[in-house]
Amino acid sequence: MKTTRRTILKGMAGLPAMFAGLSPLAALAQQGGGDTLRVAAGKPAGDLDPHKYKGLWAIQDLIFEPLIRYGHGGKMEPALATDWQVEDGGKLFRVHLRKGVTFQDGTPWDAAAMTWNLDRWIGKESNSWMNASRLFANYKVVDDHTVEIHFKELVLGLLNEFAYVRPVRFLSPKSVGADGAYAKPVGTGAWIEASADNNGSTFTRFDGYWGDKPGFKRIEVKVLPESRSRMAALRAGEIDLTGGDFLAPIKATEAKTLEKAGIPVAVELGTTTVVIGFNPDRNTALKELAVRQAINIGFDRKAIGQVLYQGLAEPAGNLFPASVPLAGTRFPVPARDPAAAKKLLEDAGWKGAPIREKDGKPLKLEIVVSEEQIAGSRSLAEILQAQLGEIGIGLTIRSVDHASRHSDIPARTFDMALFTTFGAPYEPFGTIVGLLLSTYDNGVDGKLVIDPAKLDPLVLAATSAPQDKVDAAVQAIYDQMHADVSMLPLFYSPAIWAHTKRVKGFTVPATEYDLPYRGISLES
Amino acid sequence: MSTLIAIRLRNAVVLLVLATMLCFALVVSAPGNVAVLIAELRTPKATFEQIRVVEEELGLNQPLILRYGSWLNGALHGNLGVSYKTGDAIGPALASRLPITLTLVVGGAAFAMLLSFALGFLGALWPGRFGDALSRVIALLGASMPSFFVGALLIYALAVELGLFPTFGTAGLSSWVLPWMTIGLLPAAVLSRVVRVGLEEAMARPFALTASAKGLSRRAILFRHALPNIAPTYINALGAQGGAMVVGAVVVEPLFALKGVADLFLQGVLFRDFMVVQACLLVFLTSFILLNLMVDIGMMFTDPKLRRQGANA
Repeated sequence: MKTTRRTILKGMAGLPAMFAGLSPLAALAQQGGGDTLRVAAGKPAGDLDPHKYKGLWAIQDLIFEPLIRYGHGGKMEPALATDWQVEDGGKLFRVHLRKGVTFQDGTPWDAAAMTWNLDRWIGKESNSWMNASRLFANYKVVDDHTVEIHFKELVLGLLNEFAYVRPVRFLSPKSVGADGAYAKPVGTGAWIEASADNNGSTFTRFDGYWGDKPGFKRIEVKVLPESRSRMAALRAGEIDLTGGDFLAPIKATEAKTLEKAGIPVAVELGTTTVVIGFNPDRNTALKELAVRQAINIGFDRKAIGQVLYQGLAEPAGNLFPASVPLAGTRFPVPARDPAAAKKLLEDAGWKGAPIREKDGKPLKLEIVVSEEQIAGSRSLAEILQAQLGEIGIGLTIRSVDHASRHSDIPARTFDMALFTTFGAPYEPFGTIVGLLLSTYDNGVDGKLVIDPAKLDPLVLAATSAPQDKVDAAVQAIYDQMHADVSMLPLFYSPAIWAHTKRVKGFTVPATEYDLPYRGISLES
Repeated sequence: MSTLIAIRLRNAVVLLVLATMLCFALVVSAPGNVAVLIAELRTPKATFEQIRVVEEELGLNQPLILRYGSWLNGALHGNLGVSYKTGDAIGPALASRLPITLTLVVGGAAFAMLLSFALGFLGALWPGRFGDALSRVIALLGASMPSFFVGALLIYALAVELGLFPTFGTAGLSSWVLPWMTIGLLPAAVLSRVVRVGLEEAMARPFALTASAKGLSRRAILFRHALPNIAPTYINALGAQGGAMVVGAVVVEPLFALKGVADLFLQGVLFRDFMVVQACLLVFLTSFILLNLMVDIGMMFTDPKLRRQGANA
């Protein structure tokens, strides 16, 4: 057949007709989930090896269990350990293992399985950020269900560390290859991984689970990278549950929209705080207490909480929310007072308009924000820029992505930057040591405050204080930072989850690392 | 014609090398260090020493020209490298994702063609009437609205409120309808004007007057005589819009949770995963070049003047 322009045109006309013919205009949308909890995640589960740092925490939490589980308000609840003792000045950790527990592949949970797991992470260089690993001395198997772990020194936050998701949770010793390398995710948890790819993962209920059995048979985790897509899928009933800072964050505006659409939204005070850090070494104006004080009362936290976070974020006066153990005496939330702020600056010699000057140097600062770190941080910085501008401080905003922030923060190429505290179960010492102790290498998270003269001694005193003096020692740190205005707490991040009406009995999890399936039942 | 195609292919290879070199320069000059992110995957509190070890392992401390040369050499031998982030080979990942992107773009193009001909003929058959005005309004709206907005509207109206289609995924043909409409609306708007204006111009030419004088209806003249005359212009515009749709996939794939090449590209950009970004760009550039080649060949078939030039080349 000769190819002519008419042949080409006929072909072009046929192609759309074919697609049009195939497109079903009838309702073919997905049906309800039945006995399956459908959860939306922002990214694939990834490598779930509990001794590495690659997978999604919430998915690892479905499969792998800790010795001790971090409960609401920092309450330590028994999980694979039924009981434990910390003796010898905090250098001995004796664990009594739960009996009658098996891994999902039938391997018994006992001292051999526990020590096999310990051998894979404890005392290794890559885990030296954990006190339990860095200070590990040896362990001793007392009997099949009792293990003693010895440390070189007192381990700060020992119980918290054994409640982490990784690298402390337990993998079946049979779930590795002949070379000992991790092969598949098999734990003692309530859910068995049935499949996983880029589109999501599916889990079936482990009927041999030792604890309360879930009220439904399957979990499907669907990967929806776009927040808008997750909201639409939830409203259309294609997913049942989403939320959590690390799984699939919900913005405050989205939470309000969902509420208006009749979707149940669960909001609780979270365990992290958004804080502004200063870098006086880069901008010497910030060395002046008056400048820091002026900034502190130069903007309106309550208005930011109301407008930008729809009233869901509670304005902060402290480094930690009250939901964190040892959060300290509550300081009042600084109220905006432009007149007082201007007076502070005037008295300190910063004069002129629109940008104040001193000795010919303008009062200009740069703030580094990253939307990937804190959603809405660009808008937040714009409000700061406008309100600080009113008192004569010029604020430049540098909006960067995750990769750039992780280079800029440790390199300290910022005048002001937004930080977040680590949150449960890492608190309070995770943040206190990581973000405040100048001699501790905090890697890419950088330092919120560097003050070797005044702050370091207080931090070191708190970390070595006996149990009955810890409260006072930690309070001394908070008091010092409060008096020195060495950082500015902005607001306590809310924990936000949303679910369809067929999900009954939902409760917000104790940490952002858990997947909240416990206590849930599904209406068909 | 084969000589002409050979020349085009040679130019395409030169273009590919230059384009990948430019992309490489852009990626490595972006702020942020992939070694920091990789070190973070190994240990949550990566120290500067650990970051330096990662840089050495991946050769990130080598001169740029050596790094580019090493990548180019691998690509020429069919090895697109491994992802810095996952450690997985990129070739198989691309192979598994390519059908998703192809389905999206080809389906979107089909939707665009269907809608553009419908709107174009609506205006041409009844010029100055309600249908003509309607096609103009739809074209204006389609050309003015960005894909992410169109997608959000379609999802809200057709999936959330009416429940006609799923909001995401690739489970069945119905899952593809909204992505095709989202990616195809803007090209449809542009192409509908090409059809409408092209038909109007053709209808003003003497052959149309002759056909009309012979008693042919307006519809018959449009379909039988005017339509073949706009084919070269339409194919040219379709090629340009096809390229735009490949770019549009970067917006549409995440919106509908489609795990295609554009989604992989976005992940690579966010993680500074140079190997993934380069491999995806190679796919995009190759598709642009192939598309242009197909347009050139298509135009030769539909335009007798070009065909004669091709035969003489």
